[in-house]
Amino acid sequence: MQTYEDNEPIVRIRDYKPDRVDFVLENVDLGFANSFRRVVQADIPTIAVDMVEVEANTTVLPDEFIAHRIGMVPLVSANCDEGIRYTRDCLCLSGCQYCSIELRLDVSCNDNRTMDVTSNHLEVIPPTYTDGETPGDELTKRGEDFGQPVGKNKADVPPVLICKIRKGQELKLRCVAKKGIAKEHAKWSPCSAVAFEYDPYNKLRHTTYWHETDPRTEWPVGENAKEEETPRDDEVFDFNAKPRKFYFDVETDGSLGPQEVIMKGLAELQTKLANLILGLKEGVDLPTGGDGAEAGVNGHVSAGDWAHQPGGGGWGQNAASGAGYASPAGGGGWSTSGGSGGWGTTSPAPNTGGNTGAWATSPAQNAGGAPNTTWGTSPAQAWGASSPNAASGSGWGTSTQQGWGSPTQQASGWNL
Amino acid sequence: MNAPNRFELFVLEDGEKPVEVTEDTKIPNAATFKIVKQDHTLGNMIRAQVLSMPQVLFAGYKVPHPLHPYFLLKIQTDGTMTPQAVLEQACTKLIATISSLEAKFKREFSFKTTEGNVPEDPYGTTGASAQNWGTGKDYLDF
Repeated sequence: MQTYEDNEPIVRIRDYKPDRVDFVLENVDLGFANSFRRVVQADIPTIAVDMVEVEANTTVLPDEFIAHRIGMVPLVSANCDEGIRYTRDCLCLSGCQYCSIELRLDVSCNDNRTMDVTSNHLEVIPPTYTDGETPGDELTKRGEDFGQPVGKNKADVPPVLICKIRKGQELKLRCVAKKGIAKEHAKWSPCSAVAFEYDPYNKLRHTTYWHETDPRTEWPVGENAKEEETPRDDEVFDFNAKPRKFYFDVETDGSLGPQEVIMKGLAELQTKLANLILGLKEGVDLPTGGDGAEAGVNGHVSAGDWAHQPGGGGWGQNAASGAGYASPAGGGGWSTSGGSGGWGTTSPAPNTGGNTGAWATSPAQNAGGAPNTTWGTSPAQAWGASSPNAASGSGWGTSTQQGWGSPTQQASGWNL
Repeated sequence: MNAPNRFELFVLEDGEKPVEVTEDTKIPNAATFKIVKQDHTLGNMIRAQVLSMPQVLFAGYKVPHPLHPYFLLKIQTDGTMTPQAVLEQACTKLIATISSLEAKFKREFSFKTTEGNVPEDPYGTTGASAQNWGTGKDYLDF
Protein backbone atom coordinates (compact mmCIF):
# COMPACT_ATOMS: atom_id res chain seq x y z
CA MET A 1 0.00 0.00 0.00
CA GLN A 2 2.69 2.40 0.97
CA THR A 3 4.54 1.81 -2.25
CA TYR A 4 1.45 2.74 -4.17
CA GLU A 5 1.12 5.93 -2.24
CA ASP A 6 4.68 6.90 -2.89
CA ASN A 7 4.35 6.28 -6.57
CA GLU A 8 3.70 9.22 -8.77
CA PRO A 9 0.98 8.94 -11.34
CA ILE A 10 2.12 8.13 -14.86
CA VAL A 11 0.48 9.40 -18.01
CA ARG A 12 1.16 8.23 -21.53
CA ILE A 13 -0.72 9.78 -24.43
CA ARG A 14 -1.28 7.17 -27.08
CA ASP A 15 -3.15 9.24 -29.58
CA TYR A 16 -3.76 12.96 -29.82
CA LYS A 17 -6.05 14.45 -32.43
CA PRO A 18 -7.73 17.85 -32.61
CA ASP A 19 -10.91 16.45 -31.13
CA ARG A 20 -9.71 13.60 -28.94
CA VAL A 21 -6.96 12.31 -26.76
CA ASP A 22 -6.32 8.70 -25.89
CA PHE A 23 -4.13 8.11 -22.87
CA VAL A 24 -3.15 5.58 -20.25
CA LEU A 25 -3.18 6.65 -16.63
CA GLU A 26 -1.17 4.54 -14.21
CA ASN A 27 -0.42 4.45 -10.52
CA VAL A 28 -3.62 6.06 -9.38
CA ASP A 29 -6.55 4.77 -7.44
CA LEU A 30 -9.76 3.63 -9.10
CA GLY A 31 -11.71 6.29 -7.27
CA PHE A 32 -9.31 8.96 -8.44
CA ALA A 33 -9.49 7.86 -12.06
CA ASN A 34 -13.26 7.78 -11.90
CA SER A 35 -13.41 11.24 -10.35
CA PHE A 36 -11.26 12.51 -13.17
CA ARG A 37 -13.63 10.99 -15.70
CA ARG A 38 -16.64 12.47 -13.94
CA VAL A 39 -15.17 15.93 -13.67
CA VAL A 40 -14.17 15.98 -17.33
CA GLN A 41 -17.66 15.01 -18.36
CA ALA A 42 -19.74 17.11 -16.05
CA ASP A 43 -17.88 19.99 -14.44
CA ILE A 44 -16.15 21.95 -17.17
CA PRO A 45 -17.93 25.09 -18.31
CA THR A 46 -18.71 25.70 -21.95
CA ILE A 47 -21.26 27.85 -23.70
CA ALA A 48 -24.44 26.67 -25.36
CA VAL A 49 -27.68 28.22 -26.54
CA ASP A 50 -29.94 28.47 -23.53
CA MET A 51 -32.81 30.65 -24.70
CA VAL A 52 -34.50 30.93 -28.07
CA GLU A 53 -36.96 33.59 -29.14
CA VAL A 54 -38.87 32.44 -32.18
CA GLU A 55 -39.93 35.24 -34.49
CA ALA A 56 -41.19 33.13 -37.33
CA ASN A 57 -41.47 29.41 -37.69
CA THR A 58 -43.46 28.01 -40.56
CA THR A 59 -41.50 24.81 -40.72
CA VAL A 60 -42.96 21.41 -39.96
CA LEU A 61 -41.19 21.25 -36.62
CA PRO A 62 -42.65 22.91 -33.52
CA ASP A 63 -40.76 25.73 -31.79
CA GLU A 64 -39.72 23.63 -28.80
CA PHE A 65 -38.35 20.95 -31.03
CA ILE A 66 -36.15 23.44 -32.88
CA ALA A 67 -35.10 25.23 -29.69
CA HIS A 68 -33.96 21.95 -28.23
CA ARG A 69 -31.99 21.07 -31.34
CA ILE A 70 -30.27 24.44 -31.38
CA GLY A 71 -29.32 24.03 -27.75
CA MET A 72 -27.38 20.90 -28.66
CA VAL A 73 -25.22 22.63 -31.25
CA PRO A 74 -21.66 22.87 -29.88
CA LEU A 75 -20.29 26.42 -29.82
CA VAL A 76 -16.61 27.33 -29.69
CA SER A 77 -15.95 27.95 -25.99
CA ALA A 78 -12.17 28.17 -25.76
CA ASN A 79 -11.08 30.14 -22.69
CA CYS A 80 -14.64 30.63 -21.54
CA ASP A 81 -13.49 30.72 -17.92
CA GLU A 82 -12.25 34.20 -18.59
CA GLY A 83 -14.22 35.14 -21.65
CA ILE A 84 -17.70 35.01 -20.21
CA ARG A 85 -19.45 34.95 -16.84
CA TYR A 86 -22.26 32.92 -15.47
CA THR A 87 -25.48 34.87 -15.74
CA ARG A 88 -26.16 34.13 -12.07
CA ASP A 89 -22.90 35.90 -11.15
CA CYS A 90 -23.43 38.82 -13.48
CA LEU A 91 -24.64 42.22 -12.44
CA CYS A 92 -27.24 42.32 -15.15
CA LEU A 93 -30.76 41.06 -14.71
CA SER A 94 -31.11 38.52 -17.45
CA GLY A 95 -28.18 38.50 -19.79
CA CYS A 96 -25.81 41.10 -21.16
CA GLN A 97 -22.78 41.07 -23.40
CA TYR A 98 -20.60 39.90 -20.53
CA CYS A 99 -22.63 36.84 -19.68
CA SER A 100 -24.30 35.89 -22.94
CA ILE A 101 -23.76 35.69 -26.65
CA GLU A 102 -26.46 36.44 -29.15
CA LEU A 103 -26.91 34.35 -32.25
CA ARG A 104 -29.45 34.81 -34.99
CA LEU A 105 -30.86 32.49 -37.55
CA ASP A 106 -32.90 33.75 -40.47
CA VAL A 107 -33.58 31.33 -43.29
CA SER A 108 -36.33 31.05 -45.82
CA CYS A 109 -36.66 28.80 -48.83
CA ASN A 110 -37.71 30.29 -52.12
CA ASP A 111 -36.68 27.53 -54.47
CA ASN A 112 -38.69 24.53 -55.35
CA ARG A 113 -36.59 22.13 -53.36
CA THR A 114 -35.95 20.92 -49.84
CA MET A 115 -33.44 23.08 -48.06
CA ASP A 116 -31.34 22.20 -45.03
CA VAL A 117 -31.19 24.64 -42.13
CA THR A 118 -27.89 23.95 -40.45
CA SER A 119 -25.64 25.35 -37.78
CA ASN A 120 -23.86 27.27 -40.55
CA HIS A 121 -26.88 29.58 -40.69
CA LEU A 122 -26.38 30.65 -37.08
CA GLU A 123 -24.75 34.06 -37.02
CA VAL A 124 -23.07 35.49 -33.94
CA ILE A 125 -24.13 39.07 -33.30
CA PRO A 126 -21.04 40.92 -32.04
CA PRO A 127 -21.58 42.96 -28.88
CA THR A 128 -22.30 46.61 -29.50
CA TYR A 129 -20.72 49.45 -27.61
CA THR A 130 -21.98 52.88 -26.95
CA ASP A 131 -19.63 55.74 -27.75
CA GLY A 132 -16.39 55.77 -25.86
CA GLU A 133 -17.07 52.49 -24.14
CA THR A 134 -14.29 49.96 -24.31
CA PRO A 135 -14.87 46.26 -24.37
CA GLY A 136 -14.69 44.89 -20.86
CA ASP A 137 -12.14 42.51 -19.56
CA GLU A 138 -14.00 39.39 -20.59
CA LEU A 139 -14.61 40.47 -24.14
CA THR A 140 -10.95 40.96 -24.87
CA LYS A 141 -10.20 37.47 -23.64
CA ARG A 142 -12.52 35.84 -26.09
CA GLY A 143 -11.08 34.15 -29.10
CA GLU A 144 -11.83 35.26 -32.58
CA ASP A 145 -14.68 32.86 -33.24
CA PHE A 146 -15.87 32.55 -29.65
CA GLY A 147 -19.49 31.49 -29.68
CA GLN A 148 -19.54 30.41 -33.32
CA PRO A 149 -20.89 26.96 -34.04
CA VAL A 150 -18.00 24.51 -34.14
CA GLY A 151 -16.55 24.16 -37.59
CA LYS A 152 -18.71 26.87 -39.10
CA ASN A 153 -18.23 27.20 -42.85
CA LYS A 154 -15.38 24.73 -42.84
CA ALA A 155 -15.68 22.49 -45.85
CA ASP A 156 -14.38 19.44 -44.04
CA VAL A 157 -16.57 19.76 -40.95
CA PRO A 158 -20.15 18.87 -41.77
CA PRO A 159 -22.61 21.30 -40.14
CA VAL A 160 -25.29 20.24 -37.68
CA LEU A 161 -28.69 19.85 -39.33
CA ILE A 162 -31.33 21.80 -37.43
CA CYS A 163 -34.34 21.32 -39.66
CA LYS A 164 -35.41 20.92 -43.30
CA ILE A 165 -37.68 23.43 -45.02
CA ARG A 166 -39.51 23.48 -48.36
CA LYS A 167 -40.53 26.31 -50.60
CA GLY A 168 -42.39 29.07 -48.80
CA GLN A 169 -41.33 28.05 -45.32
CA GLU A 170 -39.30 30.25 -43.03
CA LEU A 171 -37.37 30.00 -39.80
CA LYS A 172 -36.32 33.16 -38.01
CA LEU A 173 -35.14 33.23 -34.45
CA ARG A 174 -32.88 34.85 -31.90
CA CYS A 175 -30.79 32.68 -29.60
CA VAL A 176 -28.98 33.59 -26.42
CA ALA A 177 -26.02 31.40 -25.53
CA LYS A 178 -24.88 31.23 -21.94
CA LYS A 179 -22.18 29.62 -19.90
CA GLY A 180 -22.98 26.55 -17.88
CA ILE A 181 -21.79 23.13 -16.85
CA ALA A 182 -23.09 19.71 -17.76
CA LYS A 183 -24.51 19.12 -14.29
CA GLU A 184 -27.13 21.64 -15.22
CA HIS A 185 -27.76 20.33 -18.72
CA ALA A 186 -25.77 17.85 -20.80
CA LYS A 187 -25.56 20.33 -23.68
CA TRP A 188 -22.81 22.08 -21.72
CA SER A 189 -20.59 19.04 -21.65
CA PRO A 190 -17.40 19.56 -23.63
CA CYS A 191 -17.14 15.81 -24.18
CA SER A 192 -19.17 13.77 -26.57
CA ALA A 193 -17.76 10.57 -25.14
CA VAL A 194 -15.23 9.49 -22.57
CA ALA A 195 -14.06 5.91 -22.84
CA PHE A 196 -12.83 4.49 -19.57
CA GLU A 197 -11.52 0.97 -19.15
CA TYR A 198 -9.37 -0.98 -16.74
CA ASP A 199 -8.44 -4.61 -16.35
CA PRO A 200 -9.31 -5.74 -19.89
CA TYR A 201 -8.84 -9.41 -19.03
CA ASN A 202 -11.15 -9.13 -16.02
CA LYS A 203 -8.45 -10.53 -13.74
CA LEU A 204 -9.95 -8.64 -10.82
CA ARG A 205 -13.41 -10.10 -11.52
CA HIS A 206 -15.09 -6.74 -11.18
CA THR A 207 -17.55 -7.96 -13.77
CA THR A 208 -19.15 -11.26 -14.66
CA TYR A 209 -19.53 -12.21 -18.28
CA TRP A 210 -22.70 -13.86 -19.37
CA HIS A 211 -21.80 -16.90 -21.47
CA GLU A 212 -23.14 -20.12 -22.92
CA THR A 213 -20.11 -22.35 -22.57
CA ASP A 214 -16.85 -20.43 -22.29
CA PRO A 215 -16.66 -16.66 -21.73
CA ARG A 216 -13.14 -16.45 -23.14
CA THR A 217 -14.18 -17.60 -26.59
CA GLU A 218 -17.44 -15.71 -26.59
CA TRP A 219 -16.13 -12.35 -25.37
CA PRO A 220 -13.36 -10.87 -27.51
CA VAL A 221 -10.79 -8.76 -25.66
CA GLY A 222 -10.42 -5.14 -26.68
CA GLU A 223 -7.48 -3.15 -28.01
CA ASN A 224 -6.39 -2.20 -24.51
CA ALA A 225 -5.67 -5.84 -23.72
CA LYS A 226 -2.48 -5.49 -25.74
CA GLU A 227 -1.13 -3.32 -22.95
CA GLU A 228 -1.44 -6.09 -20.38
CA GLU A 229 -0.20 -9.62 -19.93
CA THR A 230 -2.55 -12.39 -20.90
CA PRO A 231 -3.40 -14.30 -17.76
CA ARG A 232 -2.15 -17.87 -17.57
CA ASP A 233 -4.69 -20.63 -17.36
CA ASP A 234 -3.48 -21.74 -13.96
CA GLU A 235 -3.29 -18.25 -12.48
CA VAL A 236 -4.83 -18.08 -9.04
CA PHE A 237 -7.18 -15.23 -8.23
CA ASP A 238 -5.38 -12.45 -6.40
CA PHE A 239 -8.08 -11.03 -4.17
CA ASN A 240 -5.83 -8.24 -2.94
CA ALA A 241 -5.10 -6.88 -6.39
CA LYS A 242 -6.32 -3.40 -7.19
CA PRO A 243 -6.70 -1.71 -10.57
CA ARG A 244 -3.75 0.59 -11.23
CA LYS A 245 -3.90 1.15 -14.97
CA PHE A 246 -6.71 3.01 -16.68
CA TYR A 247 -7.37 3.52 -20.36
CA PHE A 248 -9.05 6.78 -21.28
CA ASP A 249 -10.24 8.13 -24.58
CA VAL A 250 -11.60 11.64 -24.14
CA GLU A 251 -13.50 12.76 -27.19
CA THR A 252 -14.69 16.36 -27.30
CA ASP A 253 -17.48 17.87 -29.31
CA GLY A 254 -15.18 20.64 -30.55
CA SER A 255 -16.32 23.33 -28.12
CA LEU A 256 -13.05 22.90 -26.23
CA GLY A 257 -9.87 21.18 -27.33
CA PRO A 258 -8.86 17.95 -25.64
CA GLN A 259 -5.88 19.54 -23.93
CA GLU A 260 -8.04 22.29 -22.47
CA VAL A 261 -10.57 19.72 -21.27
CA ILE A 262 -7.92 17.64 -19.49
CA MET A 263 -6.14 20.55 -17.86
CA LYS A 264 -9.35 22.24 -16.78
CA GLY A 265 -10.63 18.98 -15.42
CA LEU A 266 -7.58 18.63 -13.21
CA ALA A 267 -7.81 22.25 -12.12
CA GLU A 268 -11.47 21.80 -11.28
CA LEU A 269 -10.69 18.79 -9.11
CA GLN A 270 -8.06 20.80 -7.28
CA THR A 271 -10.51 23.60 -6.76
CA LYS A 272 -13.08 21.27 -5.28
CA LEU A 273 -10.53 19.86 -2.86
CA ALA A 274 -9.15 23.26 -1.98
CA ASN A 275 -12.61 24.62 -1.22
CA LEU A 276 -13.14 21.67 1.07
CA ILE A 277 -9.91 22.38 2.92
CA LEU A 278 -10.95 25.98 3.19
CA GLY A 279 -14.28 24.92 4.58
CA LEU A 280 -12.58 22.77 7.19
CA LYS A 281 -10.64 25.73 8.48
CA GLU A 282 -13.06 27.70 10.50
CA GLY A 283 -12.87 31.41 10.84
CA VAL A 284 -11.29 31.96 7.50
CA ASP A 285 -12.72 34.68 5.39
CA LEU A 286 -13.45 32.18 2.71
CA PRO A 287 -15.70 32.37 -0.29
CA THR A 288 -18.70 30.57 1.08
CA GLY A 289 -21.35 32.44 -0.82
CA GLY A 290 -22.45 31.17 -4.15
CA ASP A 291 -20.97 34.01 -6.08
CA GLY A 292 -17.84 34.14 -4.06
CA ALA A 293 -17.24 30.46 -4.41
CA GLU A 294 -17.72 30.64 -8.10
CA ALA A 295 -15.41 33.54 -8.39
CA GLY A 296 -12.83 31.57 -6.50
CA VAL A 297 -13.29 28.71 -8.84
CA ASN A 298 -12.90 30.85 -11.84
CA GLY A 299 -10.02 32.65 -10.40
CA HIS A 300 -8.10 29.51 -9.78
CA VAL A 301 -8.77 28.13 -13.17
CA SER A 302 -8.38 31.32 -15.05
CA ALA A 303 -5.13 32.17 -13.44
CA GLY A 304 -3.64 29.66 -15.77
CA ASP A 305 -1.25 28.38 -13.20
CA TRP A 306 -0.67 25.14 -14.98
CA ALA A 307 0.51 27.09 -17.92
CA HIS A 308 3.25 28.68 -15.92
CA GLN A 309 4.27 25.61 -14.09
CA PRO A 310 7.85 24.77 -14.82
CA GLY A 311 7.13 21.08 -14.51
CA GLY A 312 7.74 18.74 -11.70
CA GLY A 313 6.88 21.43 -9.23
CA GLY A 314 3.48 21.54 -7.87
CA TRP A 315 2.31 21.26 -4.37
CA GLY A 316 5.38 19.99 -2.74
CA GLN A 317 4.46 16.62 -1.47
CA ASN A 318 7.31 16.42 0.91
CA ALA A 319 6.81 19.75 2.49
CA ALA A 320 8.41 18.70 5.72
CA SER A 321 9.33 22.23 6.44
CA GLY A 322 5.74 23.21 6.21
CA ALA A 323 6.37 26.24 4.17
CA GLY A 324 2.72 26.98 4.01
CA TYR A 325 0.55 27.68 1.11
CA ALA A 326 2.06 30.70 -0.40
CA SER A 327 4.67 30.03 -2.98
CA PRO A 328 8.21 30.95 -2.05
CA ALA A 329 8.97 32.97 -5.09
CA GLY A 330 5.76 34.81 -4.72
CA GLY A 331 5.08 33.96 -8.27
CA GLY A 332 2.81 31.18 -8.99
CA GLY A 333 0.21 30.64 -6.38
CA TRP A 334 -0.74 27.03 -6.14
CA SER A 335 1.48 25.15 -8.32
CA THR A 336 4.71 26.89 -8.94
CA SER A 337 6.09 26.23 -5.55
CA GLY A 338 8.98 23.88 -5.55
CA GLY A 339 9.74 20.86 -3.48
CA SER A 340 9.61 22.38 -0.09
CA GLY A 341 6.91 24.85 -0.83
CA GLY A 342 3.33 24.13 -1.31
CA TRP A 343 0.91 22.62 1.03
CA GLY A 344 2.81 21.19 3.89
CA THR A 345 1.61 17.68 4.14
CA THR A 346 3.20 16.82 7.41
CA SER A 347 1.43 19.21 9.64
CA PRO A 348 1.83 18.27 13.27
CA ALA A 349 -1.04 20.33 14.52
CA PRO A 350 -2.83 22.34 11.97
CA ASN A 351 -3.93 25.78 12.92
CA THR A 352 -2.98 26.09 16.47
CA GLY A 353 -1.27 29.07 17.90
CA GLY A 354 -3.67 31.81 17.27
CA ASN A 355 -3.49 32.15 13.55
CA THR A 356 -6.63 30.24 13.04
CA GLY A 357 -7.26 31.73 9.73
CA ALA A 358 -3.92 31.38 8.15
CA TRP A 359 -3.09 28.58 5.86
CA ALA A 360 0.04 27.57 7.58
CA THR A 361 0.05 23.98 8.52
CA SER A 362 3.05 24.39 10.74
CA PRO A 363 2.49 26.92 13.48
CA ALA A 364 6.12 27.45 14.27
CA GLN A 365 6.90 28.66 10.83
CA ASN A 366 4.03 30.94 10.73
CA ALA A 367 4.36 32.50 14.09
CA GLY A 368 7.97 33.29 13.49
CA GLY A 369 7.33 35.07 10.32
CA ALA A 370 10.88 36.15 9.94
CA PRO A 371 12.57 32.91 8.93
CA ASN A 372 10.10 32.30 6.25
CA THR A 373 9.89 34.74 3.46
CA THR A 374 7.06 32.96 1.78
CA TRP A 375 4.41 34.82 3.63
CA GLY A 376 2.70 37.60 1.95
CA THR A 377 4.74 40.69 2.30
CA SER A 378 2.00 43.08 1.56
CA PRO A 379 -1.08 42.66 3.68
CA ALA A 380 -3.10 44.68 1.31
CA GLN A 381 -2.79 41.99 -1.26
CA ALA A 382 -3.48 39.14 1.07
CA TRP A 383 -6.56 37.14 0.51
CA GLY A 384 -9.51 39.04 1.64
CA ALA A 385 -7.96 42.04 3.23
CA SER A 386 -10.82 42.19 5.64
CA SER A 387 -10.00 38.82 7.10
CA PRO A 388 -8.54 38.73 10.58
CA ASN A 389 -5.25 37.38 9.38
CA ALA A 390 -4.48 40.18 7.09
CA ALA A 391 -3.80 42.46 9.97
CA SER A 392 -1.07 40.23 11.28
CA GLY A 393 0.66 40.35 7.98
CA SER A 394 0.41 36.65 7.38
CA GLY A 395 -2.25 35.08 5.32
CA TRP A 396 -2.50 34.51 1.73
CA GLY A 397 -0.57 37.08 -0.09
CA THR A 398 1.39 35.75 -2.94
CA SER A 399 2.31 39.35 -3.45
CA THR A 400 2.50 39.22 -7.18
CA GLN A 401 0.12 37.46 -9.41
CA GLN A 402 -1.71 34.30 -10.33
CA GLY A 403 -3.25 31.51 -8.45
CA TRP A 404 -5.25 31.63 -5.35
CA GLY A 405 -3.68 34.55 -3.77
CA SER A 406 -4.20 36.63 -6.80
CA PRO A 407 -5.55 40.02 -5.92
CA THR A 408 -6.93 40.38 -9.40
CA GLN A 409 -10.18 39.16 -10.72
CA GLN A 410 -11.58 36.83 -8.18
CA ALA A 411 -10.64 38.86 -5.18
CA SER A 412 -11.81 42.19 -6.37
CA GLY A 413 -14.77 41.06 -8.35
CA TRP A 414 -15.07 41.40 -12.04
CA ASN A 415 -13.01 44.01 -13.68
CA LEU A 416 -15.25 45.90 -15.91
CA MET B 1 -42.94 27.03 -12.91
CA ASN B 2 -41.77 26.47 -9.37
CA ALA B 3 -38.88 24.18 -10.20
CA PRO B 4 -35.74 25.16 -8.31
CA ASN B 5 -32.81 26.39 -10.33
CA ARG B 6 -30.64 23.57 -11.52
CA PHE B 7 -27.50 25.32 -10.35
CA GLU B 8 -28.66 24.97 -6.76
CA LEU B 9 -27.31 21.45 -7.07
CA PHE B 10 -23.72 22.61 -7.28
CA VAL B 11 -23.47 26.26 -6.23
CA LEU B 12 -23.29 27.14 -2.55
CA GLU B 13 -25.96 29.53 -1.39
CA ASP B 14 -25.03 32.81 0.23
CA GLY B 15 -23.34 32.14 3.53
CA GLU B 16 -23.66 28.40 3.20
CA LYS B 17 -20.77 26.48 4.72
CA PRO B 18 -19.20 23.96 2.35
CA VAL B 19 -18.60 21.45 5.11
CA GLU B 20 -20.19 20.65 8.43
CA VAL B 21 -18.46 18.46 11.02
CA THR B 22 -20.36 16.34 13.53
CA GLU B 23 -18.29 14.46 16.05
CA ASP B 24 -19.53 11.02 16.92
CA THR B 25 -20.83 10.74 20.49
CA LYS B 26 -20.64 6.98 20.77
CA ILE B 27 -17.52 6.02 18.86
CA PRO B 28 -14.14 7.44 19.88
CA ASN B 29 -12.13 9.43 17.35
CA ALA B 30 -14.91 9.40 14.80
CA ALA B 31 -16.61 12.20 12.97
CA THR B 32 -19.12 12.64 10.19
CA PHE B 33 -18.56 15.35 7.62
CA LYS B 34 -21.48 16.69 5.69
CA ILE B 35 -20.09 18.11 2.48
CA VAL B 36 -22.68 20.11 0.64
CA LYS B 37 -23.04 20.78 -3.07
CA GLN B 38 -20.66 17.94 -3.88
CA ASP B 39 -21.23 14.40 -5.05
CA HIS B 40 -19.52 11.10 -5.78
CA THR B 41 -16.81 12.91 -7.72
CA LEU B 42 -15.34 14.20 -4.51
CA GLY B 43 -16.75 11.62 -2.12
CA ASN B 44 -15.32 8.49 -3.61
CA MET B 45 -11.94 10.03 -4.32
CA ILE B 46 -11.54 11.32 -0.77
CA ARG B 47 -12.81 8.12 0.77
CA ALA B 48 -10.24 6.09 -1.16
CA GLN B 49 -7.44 8.46 -0.18
CA VAL B 50 -8.45 8.50 3.48
CA LEU B 51 -8.57 4.71 3.57
CA SER B 52 -4.99 4.52 2.38
CA MET B 53 -3.76 6.29 5.51
CA PRO B 54 -2.50 3.98 8.28
CA GLN B 55 -4.10 6.03 11.09
CA VAL B 56 -7.58 5.40 9.75
CA LEU B 57 -9.74 2.62 11.10
CA PHE B 58 -12.84 3.35 9.09
CA ALA B 59 -13.82 5.60 6.25
CA GLY B 60 -16.94 5.56 4.16
CA TYR B 61 -19.18 7.94 2.30
CA LYS B 62 -22.75 7.97 1.14
CA VAL B 63 -25.08 10.16 -0.82
CA PRO B 64 -28.23 9.76 1.27
CA HIS B 65 -30.58 10.77 -1.52
CA PRO B 66 -29.78 11.44 -5.17
CA LEU B 67 -31.90 14.59 -5.18
CA HIS B 68 -30.16 16.09 -2.17
CA PRO B 69 -26.90 17.68 -3.24
CA TYR B 70 -24.62 16.62 -0.42
CA PHE B 71 -22.76 13.59 0.81
CA LEU B 72 -21.73 12.28 4.22
CA LEU B 73 -18.20 11.14 4.92
CA LYS B 74 -17.52 9.17 8.07
CA ILE B 75 -13.98 8.76 9.37
CA GLN B 76 -12.75 6.93 12.44
CA THR B 77 -9.08 7.09 13.38
CA ASP B 78 -6.88 5.27 15.85
CA GLY B 79 -6.51 8.40 17.96
CA THR B 80 -3.14 9.64 16.76
CA MET B 81 -4.86 12.13 14.48
CA THR B 82 -8.26 13.74 14.53
CA PRO B 83 -10.62 12.89 11.69
CA GLN B 84 -10.48 16.53 10.63
CA ALA B 85 -6.72 16.42 10.32
CA VAL B 86 -6.95 13.15 8.41
CA LEU B 87 -9.42 14.61 5.96
CA GLU B 88 -7.33 17.68 5.49
CA GLN B 89 -4.21 15.68 4.90
CA ALA B 90 -6.01 13.43 2.43
CA CYS B 91 -7.19 16.45 0.45
CA THR B 92 -3.71 17.91 0.50
CA LYS B 93 -2.25 14.68 -0.81
CA LEU B 94 -4.82 14.50 -3.54
CA ILE B 95 -4.05 18.03 -4.60
CA ALA B 96 -0.38 17.11 -4.72
CA THR B 97 -1.18 14.08 -6.87
CA ILE B 98 -3.25 16.18 -9.23
CA SER B 99 -0.48 18.74 -9.49
CA SER B 100 2.06 16.17 -10.46
CA LEU B 101 -0.43 14.73 -12.91
CA GLU B 102 -0.93 18.18 -14.37
CA ALA B 103 2.79 18.57 -14.93
CA LYS B 104 2.95 15.18 -16.58
CA PHE B 105 0.03 15.89 -18.84
CA LYS B 106 1.56 19.16 -19.85
CA ARG B 107 4.80 17.41 -20.70
CA GLU B 108 3.04 14.74 -22.70
CA PHE B 109 0.98 17.28 -24.60
CA SER B 110 4.04 19.33 -25.44
CA PHE B 111 5.76 16.25 -26.81
CA LYS B 112 2.82 15.41 -28.95
CA THR B 113 2.65 18.82 -30.52
CA THR B 114 6.35 19.43 -31.00
CA GLU B 115 6.97 16.03 -32.51
CA GLY B 116 4.35 16.82 -35.08
CA ASN B 117 2.49 13.69 -34.16
CA VAL B 118 -0.80 15.43 -34.43
CA PRO B 119 -2.73 14.62 -37.54
CA GLU B 120 -4.49 17.93 -37.44
CA ASP B 121 -7.53 16.82 -39.31
CA PRO B 122 -10.15 14.59 -37.78
CA TYR B 123 -11.83 13.93 -41.07
CA GLY B 124 -8.83 12.68 -42.94
CA THR B 125 -8.43 15.54 -45.39
CA THR B 126 -5.14 17.35 -45.48
CA GLY B 127 -3.41 20.62 -45.91
CA ALA B 128 -5.09 23.96 -45.57
CA SER B 129 -7.83 22.73 -43.30
CA ALA B 130 -5.37 21.83 -40.58
CA GLN B 131 -6.41 24.54 -38.15
CA ASN B 132 -10.12 24.30 -38.65
CA TRP B 133 -11.00 23.09 -35.21
CA GLY B 134 -10.96 25.38 -32.29
CA THR B 135 -9.94 28.93 -32.69
CA GLY B 136 -6.73 28.26 -34.50
CA LYS B 137 -5.04 29.42 -31.35
CA ASP B 138 -3.82 27.09 -28.71
CA TYR B 139 -5.74 27.84 -25.57
CA LEU B 140 -2.50 28.43 -23.71
CA ASP B 141 -1.89 31.45 -25.90
CA PHE B 142 -4.62 33.39 -24.18
